[in-house]
Amino acid sequence: MTPRRVAPSFWLLLLAFVAWDLRHSAPLNLWREPPLLAAGSGQAPSGGHCSAPK
Amino acid sequence: VIRKGVIGQLLLLGLAATLSMPLLAAFPELQAALGPPSVSLLVGAFVFGLTMQIADGCGSGTLYKAGMGVPLNMGILPLFALGSFIGSAHLDRWLALGQTAPVGLVDQWGAGPALAATWAVLIAAGLGVRAWAGWGKAWLDKRWVRGALALALLAALNLVIAGQPWGVVYGFGLWAAKLAQAAGLFDPTANCLLGPGRAPAAPVADAAAGRHEHHQHRHPGRCAVGGGGQAQPSHKALSARQWAVGLAAGFLMGYSSRLAFGCNVGAMLSGISTGSVHGWIWVPLAFAGTLDRRARAAPLRLLKADL
Repeated sequence: MTPRRVAPSFWLLLLAFVAWDLRHSAPLNLWREPPLLAAGSGQAPSGGHCSAPK
Repeated sequence: VIRKGVIGQLLLLGLAATLSMPLLAAFPELQAALGPPSVSLLVGAFVFGLTMQIADGCGSGTLYKAGMGVPLNMGILPLFALGSFIGSAHLDRWLALGQTAPVGLVDQWGAGPALAATWAVLIAAGLGVRAWAGWGKAWLDKRWVRGALALALLAALNLVIAGQPWGVVYGFGLWAAKLAQAAGLFDPTANCLLGPGRAPAAPVADAAAGRHEHHQHRHPGRCAVGGGGQAQPSHKALSARQWAVGLAAGFLMGYSSRLAFGCNVGAMLSGISTGSVHGWIWVPLAFAGTLDRRARAAPLRLLKADL
């Protein structure tokens, strides 16, 4: 594939993925937002991290 | 450049640790980047170091080079995501080969001794690099100091806001996992990517909360040799063989990043700066992977092919 075809394909696929994700993911729940600052909130983060095995 | 870069990275690690370790001690809800010392870590870090040379960029390096318009890295990004996802799915089998519990120096020793030990090792490494390069040569300039300070501040800010350190590759795997789950190819409740305790909707909610897709535009821990900072959008096509090698390296880089419990950011920077022993294991293994001359030359060959 030539560079001229790679770039448009890449951006189209990326935009398509973002659009698909926005459409199919659960909507944001503003009442369950995590605290603005985790430090001092008393709530441990629930998201995954690449260093964690799970 | 390499000499100054190594010292700059050591400075970054020390500054980030100076900011992060006291925070971890003061706020128990903040989490260190703790990965288990394991066979998975040994293999993953070595393969990651090797393949990031061939692919001419690590996790975040692939991101920013794809954004810059480098065709190979645009092709690598989705394969990195696929590799990261499959690596996550296989991780329980790799861990079954042998592992020990993660060790956090702040938990074990407290922030002060952990920070002192971290600086001691970093200074020893810096002296070793200076002795290897020659004592009389310049070893640091203002740009590296400014860069190290800025990245250390941003890393600490990430910890304060998100509650966990900077990471990259988990987010890549999440992208592929979403697609695989939507296609019915993957049961997230039966695999260690999410684990039985995490409902399928959990990662989506986490992502919406912005908790684990922390991207960076650049960090100094990527390729020591071969195109670092030289990336330019190419105007000539690579050969089919060069594409195949680069894409395969990208896939393996994603796969190994999960086995290694992080990349240059998640394992090295975040691991060491938050006192995780797995970060100290990651560095020599990944460095050993970069020592293969053919791998180091690969980006240069790709660059020549582009010019």
